[in-house]
Amino acid sequence: MYHKTTGYRVFSVFNYAFMILAGLVCFLPLLHLLAQSLSSKAAISGNLVSFWPVGFNMDAYVKTFSNSNFISSMWTSILRTVLGTSISMFILTCAGYALSKEFRGRNVLMWFFIFTMLFSGGLIPSYILVTGLGLKDTIWALVLPGAFGAYNLILLVNFFKTIPKALEEAAFIDGASFFAILSKIYLPLSLPGIATVSLFIMVGHWNSWFDGILYMSDASKYPLASFLQTVVVQSNMQNMAMSQSEVEAMSEQSIKAAQIFVSTLPIIMVYPFLQRYFVKGIVLGAVKE
Amino acid sequence: MRERSNVWKMLSTIMLSALVVAGCSSGESNTVATPESVLKDGKYDPPLTMTIAKQQDENSGKYINGESLNDNVLTRWGEEKLGIKIETTLLGGDASQYNTKLRLALTGSEKLPDVLPVYDTMLINDLIESGQVKEITEDIATYMPDRIKEIYKQYPSTFNPVVRDGKVYGMAIAPNLTEGEVMLIRQDWLDKLQLKAPTTLEEFEQVIAAFTNDDPDGNGKQDTYGFTFSGKDSYNTGWVSDPVMIFSAYTGKHLPRQWVNDNGKLAYGSVAPGNKEALGKLRDWYAKGYLNKELATQGAWDALSDFTEGKAGIIVGRPWLYGSVKDVEKNIEGAKVVPYPTIQGVNGDRTYQTAQLNDGVFMFNKDFQNMEAFFLYYDKMYDAAFGTGEFKYGYAQGYDYDIVNEEVTFDPQQFNTPLEAVQGVGKMAFTKNTPSVDGPGQSYYDLANGVEPDTGVLLQSDSRDQTTKDGYRISYENRDSLVPNDFNGPPTPTMQNIWEQLTTMEQEIFTKIIYGNEPLEAFDTFVKQWHEKGGDEVTEEVNDWYNQASKTDVMALMNLK
Repeated sequence: MYHKTTGYRVFSVFNYAFMILAGLVCFLPLLHLLAQSLSSKAAISGNLVSFWPVGFNMDAYVKTFSNSNFISSMWTSILRTVLGTSISMFILTCAGYALSKEFRGRNVLMWFFIFTMLFSGGLIPSYILVTGLGLKDTIWALVLPGAFGAYNLILLVNFFKTIPKALEEAAFIDGASFFAILSKIYLPLSLPGIATVSLFIMVGHWNSWFDGILYMSDASKYPLASFLQTVVVQSNMQNMAMSQSEVEAMSEQSIKAAQIFVSTLPIIMVYPFLQRYFVKGIVLGAVKE
Repeated sequence: MRERSNVWKMLSTIMLSALVVAGCSSGESNTVATPESVLKDGKYDPPLTMTIAKQQDENSGKYINGESLNDNVLTRWGEEKLGIKIETTLLGGDASQYNTKLRLALTGSEKLPDVLPVYDTMLINDLIESGQVKEITEDIATYMPDRIKEIYKQYPSTFNPVVRDGKVYGMAIAPNLTEGEVMLIRQDWLDKLQLKAPTTLEEFEQVIAAFTNDDPDGNGKQDTYGFTFSGKDSYNTGWVSDPVMIFSAYTGKHLPRQWVNDNGKLAYGSVAPGNKEALGKLRDWYAKGYLNKELATQGAWDALSDFTEGKAGIIVGRPWLYGSVKDVEKNIEGAKVVPYPTIQGVNGDRTYQTAQLNDGVFMFNKDFQNMEAFFLYYDKMYDAAFGTGEFKYGYAQGYDYDIVNEEVTFDPQQFNTPLEAVQGVGKMAFTKNTPSVDGPGQSYYDLANGVEPDTGVLLQSDSRDQTTKDGYRISYENRDSLVPNDFNGPPTPTMQNIWEQLTTMEQEIFTKIIYGNEPLEAFDTFVKQWHEKGGDEVTEEVNDWYNQASKTDVMALMNLK
């Protein structure tokens, strides 16, 4: 009956208040963005918009969706996310399954992978490699370099390790091959882990902008995040030679807001479908047998 | 994000300079056996391709009619009319990303584009050192068309960053004196309080005091103030929300954050004596509430929102700033914004402001053999600026101008196919900025003096709203107040080590003095520390560079005398 004590009640109140506050901190910026995207330009530049649209209009959305680069970037991002996540997951599950077994040289192999986690070649070698392989200006430049991540591999290996060995042995006796065991036993049993890792990769692909800008020499090939980076981040404030049209474009906050809002929607929409797996997702080393 | 990109920049600079110095260029020679293109009647046959690098930020994705970076009205025009195909092979977003990509291209992992617009003095230096850019001294002398030569003759200092040992490795991008700043004032407030626009510091003080205390918006609350500006990055923004006028009132040409030639020796403006009085004035005004309370945290672009909201009465900026703050006339009934010249200095002289002569420089791949083609194309780009030839009214009908009922119009809503906004066709070429020869607004000045608008430039200027036109006219009338930064070379060795610390210290001290957190005497301490902590060495190095840069008469070598 511990939940009847005063201490518990005080804690509950505090807990709820804190959670609501934390939730608001995450939610309000998004709401502000939504309000801006639906407001008139004059109201925004006059600082009049907070959480409710002033001078309601949908122009920003019409303009956003009539911008061919926005659409093509959206498509690139979707393609990249789907392709990247499938390729990554394919490699990771194959590698993870193998590495969850005991075999000679396993530790050496694992050490190699972990080495890449600690030391990477850096920007220049990666760039030279990607251009040297002729991947520049193709979707593969976005998908392949990050396809194999040691961190995700470790998560998966550990997940696979929690599946009882007896299951596998029984399957062997019934005549199943390694691939059958992986696809029919391991994968269904480790869905939470796979969903979690997939989401990591998915969000990573969706949000990553630097590689797009680095490897693409045509803005119409930019993924969405790179597109937004060029549109939204006006970092070059010291650049003084500007023309009137540029300056007017800069103050079009509502369009920027609409673009940011539209671009965050897909990943927000994916989240609820994967969320139910998360409770079990990452319990790395939490329970000892 | 800003910090992160700086880290990127630093890391890549360090690593790349190592690579560049090591001469890490793959020996992939360019031996494509294409038939020689011949220039016949102003057109290359067969067409030649000129690859370019491009920094493209705000304009990203602003193409109409399904056009794109490498296939648009201007690239098609170039191919059709000149036999020159422009192809972007290196594209960067904002400045730091673009510089990173240029540095990466320098590693030799890919072919450097033929034409490289470079916007960073350090990178200009590194490119010259790498030996991968072309020396163009003779090319300029031979191929540069005369009318463009006339322009470059006016701005010899723009060659300073690209000259090494008497050789020229680049040229400024479309040199042209930028427009100067004007004071935008809420005229309705002035009228209501029966005040005149200020011309001196005393009058300025009276006006901002009245704007703060005498309830100019008539709502019975003391919720307005006089002067909004930005002090976040520097007290000399040079374009929008600039307070440099107040400093210049006491220091003359010694502007903060800027080097000025003072009797043959470059001196740094922030440590000039008059700054103390200027800071004292600002401190006084800040304490009395005449200034933006958050001036130290608001960037140039943020500081104007108080004006647009109807809280502040005066803002200083380039004439086009009106376009960005005119919403105040929509948000508040009766609001009216009128441009005025910046005030005079305390001794009756004018106040000065930063001018920019060019945005970056052109550099060329050392294997680029078609300088003649480049100049042919570049000269055509100038057609729009001169209002001659094919681009008499603009670059492309239906994009940046249109002819409706035999009348030229620049209003995109009036086009035969109405547009949301005018398409900056000129920016589809290799430059971020379209060439202009209008200086700080000569066409507006001419129009105001009754010249008939008959060229594209005049017609375009004439189509602007009256307030902007007045602003440009004032800017042109006061063009003598524009002083360019006399130091435009690469950061000197000592600068690379300590400049960031020095400017941070400067910014902090200035802000603390204005906010009243430090006594006014802190300025003297700052000056002392500045000199001791490396300022003297920097000054020496900057002067060495300046003497070096102005020693050889490259202008004569380029036949620009």
